[in-house]
Amino acid sequence: MTYSLAVDIGGTFTDVVLRSSTGALTTDKTLTTHHDLLEGFFRGVDQVLGKAGIAPRDIDGVVVHATTIVTNALIERKGLTTALITTKGFGDVLSIRHEHRYEMYDPQIEFAEPLIPRDLTFEIDERILADGSVLRAVDAAEIEALAKVLQAKGVVSAAICLINGFRNPANEQVVAAILRKAAPGLYLSLSSSVAPQIREYPRASTTAINAYTTPITEPYLRALAVRLAKLDVPNKPLIMLSSGGIIGAEVAGRFPVRMIESGPAAGALAATWYAERLGLDRLLSFDMGGTTAKACLIEDRKPLIASSFEVDRIYRFREGSGMPLTIPSIDMIEIGAGGGSIASVDNLGLLKVGPRSAGSQPGPACYGQGGMEPTVTDADLALGLLDADNFLGGDMRLDRPAAEAAIRRLGDALGTDLAQTAAGIYRVVAETMAAAARTHATDRGVDHRGLPLLAFGGAGPVHACAVGALLESTAVIFPPNASVLSAFGTLVTSVRFDMVRSAPGKLDALDWSDVDRLLTGMTEEGMEALAEAGCGPKTVSLIFGADLRYLGQQNEVTVTFDRDPRAGRDAGMIKRIFEAAYLAQYGVNPSHVPVEIVSWRLTVRGPGIAVGNLETPSGRWGEPKATRPILLWPEAGPASVYDRSSLAAGQVVAGPAIIEERETTIVLPPEWDATVNSIGCVIAKRRV
Amino acid sequence: MDGIQLEILWSNLISIVSEQAKALQRIAFSPIVREAGDLASGLFDARGRMVAQANTGTPGHINSLASAGLTLAKLFEGKLGPGDIVITNDPWMSAGHFFDITVLCPIFWHTQLIGFIGSTIHHTDIGGYGIGAGARDIHEEGLWIPPSKLYEAGEPNALLHDFIRHNVRTPDHVFGDLAAQVSSGRAGGERLIALCQREGLQNIEHLSDEIIARSENATRQAIRALPAGTWHGESRFDVPGGSIIELKAAVTIDNVAGDITIDFAGSSGASPLGINVVMNYTHAYSTFAIRSCLNPELPNNHGSLAPIKVTAPKGSIVNAAYPSPLNARHVVGMFVPMPILKALHQVIPDRVLAEGSGAVWTVQIQGKRATGDAFTSSMFNYSGGMGARLTKPGPSATCYPTGVAAVPVEILEAAMPIVFDRRALRPGSGGKGRSRGGDGQIIEFHMHTQYPWLLNAVPSRLDRGPEGLDGGEPGASGRFLVNGKPFSEARKITMEPGDVVLLETPGGGGYGAA
Repeated sequence: MTYSLAVDIGGTFTDVVLRSSTGALTTDKTLTTHHDLLEGFFRGVDQVLGKAGIAPRDIDGVVVHATTIVTNALIERKGLTTALITTKGFGDVLSIRHEHRYEMYDPQIEFAEPLIPRDLTFEIDERILADGSVLRAVDAAEIEALAKVLQAKGVVSAAICLINGFRNPANEQVVAAILRKAAPGLYLSLSSSVAPQIREYPRASTTAINAYTTPITEPYLRALAVRLAKLDVPNKPLIMLSSGGIIGAEVAGRFPVRMIESGPAAGALAATWYAERLGLDRLLSFDMGGTTAKACLIEDRKPLIASSFEVDRIYRFREGSGMPLTIPSIDMIEIGAGGGSIASVDNLGLLKVGPRSAGSQPGPACYGQGGMEPTVTDADLALGLLDADNFLGGDMRLDRPAAEAAIRRLGDALGTDLAQTAAGIYRVVAETMAAAARTHATDRGVDHRGLPLLAFGGAGPVHACAVGALLESTAVIFPPNASVLSAFGTLVTSVRFDMVRSAPGKLDALDWSDVDRLLTGMTEEGMEALAEAGCGPKTVSLIFGADLRYLGQQNEVTVTFDRDPRAGRDAGMIKRIFEAAYLAQYGVNPSHVPVEIVSWRLTVRGPGIAVGNLETPSGRWGEPKATRPILLWPEAGPASVYDRSSLAAGQVVAGPAIIEERETTIVLPPEWDATVNSIGCVIAKRRV
Repeated sequence: MDGIQLEILWSNLISIVSEQAKALQRIAFSPIVREAGDLASGLFDARGRMVAQANTGTPGHINSLASAGLTLAKLFEGKLGPGDIVITNDPWMSAGHFFDITVLCPIFWHTQLIGFIGSTIHHTDIGGYGIGAGARDIHEEGLWIPPSKLYEAGEPNALLHDFIRHNVRTPDHVFGDLAAQVSSGRAGGERLIALCQREGLQNIEHLSDEIIARSENATRQAIRALPAGTWHGESRFDVPGGSIIELKAAVTIDNVAGDITIDFAGSSGASPLGINVVMNYTHAYSTFAIRSCLNPELPNNHGSLAPIKVTAPKGSIVNAAYPSPLNARHVVGMFVPMPILKALHQVIPDRVLAEGSGAVWTVQIQGKRATGDAFTSSMFNYSGGMGARLTKPGPSATCYPTGVAAVPVEILEAAMPIVFDRRALRPGSGGKGRSRGGDGQIIEFHMHTQYPWLLNAVPSRLDRGPEGLDGGEPGASGRFLVNGKPFSEARKITMEPGDVVLLETPGGGGYGAA
């Protein structure tokens, strides 16, 4: 028997999943311990091992970890003194940003302070040109003097981001070598290795974030490895990345920027795994929690990958109000509507839900902690979708009269009664989610119609069928163990590392020896990273890709090749693949416009994962434990209420029905049927 | 209609056009559309009244599309059938210069016209003079497309397509972008029909009445809360070539009727340069200024714009008459909000901002690579500082009223043999005050070439900086230097290989005595 362990530390909970080679899962959820994240980590591990009756040394499979430590460090701005080193003339790169004013209509707009202040930004006299040639080499004496200044200012970590450093890393490497000697112990992040992509501001922002979080993350991961080893856990820990890759703790410690949002990424990987198991080519994963919802498009059984995203948006989740990152990441949308979102009436007399949230303090009115404003959870409770006595398995009693009073006050302003108001909140939330998903899909050139939904998170299963109806989804899927789905996702994913390097040039004038040098360098970096994660060279596969565009465009289309593009040196093959991908996204190919390559991509991947048997026993169909009236559909009669754990494989449940789990509740509307499949997924479809 | 049903339908209409705007922005060839979002997308009812509009775009496009919809719907009343698509780039009907092409797709359902999806985007080329203010009259500025049918009963209008193809330099890009406008219009129409089906609506007339009436009432309510009277503001600035432009605005608040009238009487007359602004564009930036201070949270539509009236003397620089050249109308248009904000400062001092740099500075370069191949860069731009607010400084290197992004240095260096020596904030350029104005920036570059090259730079505010408010000091004026010597030229300049260009964009005005 082999055991693998996954630990996902989120903002509120630390989730632990232990999987045996038979496929059996043991799970636990414990509160995240913000003062020392490893305390919660090992408490959860202890509990799971206790439940399974095994010792730490029995965990002879992988140990995979996803953590929110990097995101927290950024949002709370609790990093140590960090400096930025740039080319002379470009020291204001973090203040100038893109120049973009992200909210046109607000003259009182504000921007976040740069992560690294101007007085810790240092310009040096060097220059690389766009073709990679060195116009001015680094002056060693200048860097030695700078080292003294950095030490005097108590700088712990430095980002080095020089103009055109993505094209030729030489000057950044020289600076780093001198600093290593002159200021030993200083953490260094080089833009040419953290994010070697064209566009100076996002690259500087990414490198700065990496530098800022390294002094927090690196010791954390080291301590984790030491404590696991002390417990006699046989293998070194692996770390989940936001790209959906998994890599050794040492590499991850050098690139903490790649760990941001890795928990949600793992959720998308779990959704991908289910797509595979269910034989679905595409689906939309839909994770709705307390303050926000996250959605991810899975196409061809792969999550969409974005080449950039933002952290710490300071203005209503508005694009442009956060710090940009250019690293490969699973492409997620975050929608400012969750269980805690507050419903209100605006000055036009319209019902609005969110983006304000009651959070967990004071929380929804029904939490009885002083919240007076009606939230989505209050509406769910008032409608009868949630059971006041069975929330979190009965551990937290909800105050239904308080929820109803809050909703009535809102109804007075709208001129609607309790049922109409609560149903209105429920509908508006679904519309908000559907609209965000449609816009996101359109923006990616994906047709949203018919996409099956895979719903999880505390509030996701309550609202999923309503969202699915608006998106014309062919099915809404509720996977088992939905409350620890991200941790589960880390255990069904191969070790993997994704790399991107910019080297812009026209496709019909490619310098293949330059391409060869670049891809060979990336291959070496990838193989080394995988070796550290325990993958022998024979088990590693390489997947090549590129970002291309028509000359004159500013956005690229990412394509994947089915073989090494250097084989045959066939630029025509690259062009054909690009044009097909472009046509699929945009519907037209402009003729006569030359194609330009902007970046090369390489993914190195370890061997696949055997997940084992996850069959749910068939057997006697579970009976409803109760019925209750649902105000959403008075004409459909009371809904049957089931315990999810009582459902057997093959069982069919007819809507209206409520299926309760400890952490969430599946709402099955009238006109819908749900079937439990052999691996425990509840699959809901509209009756035809 | 109750506030729940209306919210659901209304938010769906906005989401239909926002989706189509996203699709357009993604597909477009025109770099300014993709990077700067220089586009607008709107949904109109059968009478051509704008009911919903995408949450993106620039003020100049957004609000001028509203009047284009009304005009075109009236012009083609009774003459449209399924599969027809209308096009124009008439500056007086839409966004004020030929580059902006408006495409309007009628939506037919059960043989009934239920509305339109319209879009305006800035195309890469329209023939004629090209980018810049140097044409002597409008005919030199390119192809003038009168309101016509681009498609008729689903079939392309071959003659019109041919006309356009023969009169632009990059027909592939222009037709690529037109195809994007057409397909987004059709897709938006399908989404509207699906919404009607789902919600059991025959058409959107009742819905549009409700949205327009509520928006108009809310705007009037907001105006009624202000004191009645007439307030004056003026703004004085110089444009390329050195001439001084003055804009005067009298803002009259009628708090009984709940409307605001802005009159530009006394503003400068027409310019011989292509910087004249048509009424539609003046109206767009005026309503933008009022709405962003008055009730920015309210969506833009026919109703929320209705209570704001704008007038200007015919033939003045802000109500351009034929055949004045118009190409670079944003150079003056982006200053239109400034006198209005100064007038509003006397009424709602906490919601306005001091004068800022105004127009972004634009640059375009033509030359030869080391190989001898010719190149023409796309237009790139730089912001100065924004004006200070009552309790907050003005953001640096950020533009108001537009908010366009700049093209990264590395992208420009990869696209042509340019080398940037500096791109930095310009310290101390923001006006002092209780709240400081935002700083401008310093951009220095030269060309890595052995051939002469052409520089087409459009700076502004070289003569004096943006004024402060309420005792705040002015921001620093801009500086445009070639080889260390000040320069002011409205037309393209021929440069030598070693020439060094230095741009220092203006700082924003301060607010309140320091």
